[in-house]
Amino acid sequence: MKILRVLLRIEWLKAVRRRAFWVAVAAFTAFTSLPVIERVRGAHSNPNAVFALPESWPVVLGTAGIGPLFIAALMILLVAQEFSWRTARQNVIDGLSKERFYAGKVMLLAGLVLLFTSAPVLIGVGGTMLSPGEGGPGFIRASDFGYISGLVLGMLLFGSAGLMLSVHLRSSGASLGILFLYLFVEEGVAMLMLGTGRESLRNVAEFLPFNVVEDLGDDLVHYPDVLAEVNAERAEAGLAPLEFLDVEMLAVAALAYTAFFLGLSLLNMRRRDL
Amino acid sequence: MHAIQTLDLTKRYGSRPAKSVLAVDRISFAVEQGQVFGFLGPNGSGKTTTIGMLVGTIKPTDGSFKLFGASGPKGLFGARARVGATLETPNFYPYMSGRDNLRVAAAVKGVGQPRIGECLDLVGLSNRAKHRFKTYSLGMKQRLALAATMLNDPELIVLDEPANGLDPQGIREIREIIHILADRGKTIFLSSHLLAEVERTCSHVAIIRKGRIVTWGAVADVVGEGSAVLLRADDTEALADSMEAYPDATSVRRTDDGLVATLDSGDLASVTRYLAGNGIYLSHLAPYRPSLEEVFIDVTQGAVDSMTEIVS
Repeated sequence: MKILRVLLRIEWLKAVRRRAFWVAVAAFTAFTSLPVIERVRGAHSNPNAVFALPESWPVVLGTAGIGPLFIAALMILLVAQEFSWRTARQNVIDGLSKERFYAGKVMLLAGLVLLFTSAPVLIGVGGTMLSPGEGGPGFIRASDFGYISGLVLGMLLFGSAGLMLSVHLRSSGASLGILFLYLFVEEGVAMLMLGTGRESLRNVAEFLPFNVVEDLGDDLVHYPDVLAEVNAERAEAGLAPLEFLDVEMLAVAALAYTAFFLGLSLLNMRRRDL
Repeated sequence: MHAIQTLDLTKRYGSRPAKSVLAVDRISFAVEQGQVFGFLGPNGSGKTTTIGMLVGTIKPTDGSFKLFGASGPKGLFGARARVGATLETPNFYPYMSGRDNLRVAAAVKGVGQPRIGECLDLVGLSNRAKHRFKTYSLGMKQRLALAATMLNDPELIVLDEPANGLDPQGIREIREIIHILADRGKTIFLSSHLLAEVERTCSHVAIIRKGRIVTWGAVADVVGEGSAVLLRADDTEALADSMEAYPDATSVRRTDDGLVATLDSGDLASVTRYLAGNGIYLSHLAPYRPSLEEVFIDVTQGAVDSMTEIVS
């Protein structure tokens, strides 16, 4: 337990002294706050437009879907530089084993996920307190909790991918480049190629990492009533209904990717010289 | 007791034989506790790789080593708590202050906060402790690295090129700190290019060339005190030719003062007799003590490939 406290203290000190950390937190908070501020202002001018939890969770969590990208980028900025500055090597010389150094980074990931999950929750609570009118009973419904859990899994998946790239490439520029190239180009191309293939290949395409994160951060996956409304509109427009995705399968896929990326990072840390 | 003991320690980079590089080739040496040990070699000779293996950042390909008699992953992990080290350039977080960088190192080493102030005082950085590391001069960075190595009051201090890039004043400051640490009974393992500094500071040295130890032992033994002679004669060319053919001479080189010959034995009478027999009459014959720099140049550029071990 003592070593966990030490690792936590070290990673906290390294992160909070870094400007990039605060810029990312501020940008994410601002981005997540915007729709809430808009709704709260609307509630003040229009008594029918209520902003209150738990009904307004989809509004709060909708923009938090960008959290996984922030986590991945922050992990890369905070971890890859440790190799270019050779502070990872110095940490090991000073007495951390490679495994403990790695454990510190996993704790950093957990801390960032906690922070980026807490931010929208606090913004939602703040918005509810500032908004006139009242919501339904309770603070959080099962579907809201599922939505938050989906975001957490998405953050863990992208964060662990960022960690793996950092440990493998040891350069923040190259890691960010490859991450964004994959997310915005390569996976799209892969989905197109797999989508034109057999049924089994199309199923594989559904479970590519970015797609899994997108689906887990999609309100239609977590709110069957919203999906039903959307499908009703689609039916009126003559479009095929959207399928209700299996959230459990998506969660298992996200956890499997996370475990795979973390395992690969640990293997890399152990095998390579610093 | 040995602070460091290596046995056939080897590091090969790359697995494919055609492309792999043998950085360290079966090196064996020992550093006694309390010694100030200089580890010398040209660039790319394997110094930093050797130190990297000792401090646990590089995995040896073959061979073994002990720190304070401990070996194996668990034993070495425990023994490294008694070691303070820096490798190549000072490695710190550029965006953090000197004090915060030491806070990170202190947390890793399990050292309390008061020790940070003591170490900053020792290296004369207390007044700049709050400034960011990236604003430090190279000399200040080196001194902060020394402060970091001393945080846990280690018994063995490993310094890789601590005077690199420093001006004479900075070199003098580093030397003074090393002297203070040596006076406190610390074992110091020092890698450096500044041979005059090493000769002035170290009690023992090892010279590494192309990954192999060429010579190691007490400085006095390594520089060959008592076995080298300075010779002069009217005909320097004839003297040089004769001495190169002399069976007892292991090396012969010209200097501004005359000819320096290293002899296997100290039998000077035989030398004069041999030269007189060749028609050469000496105007000067005296014991010669080469500098460490001369020995270094001799063994790292000369044709000496076999290991010459001088055990003190």
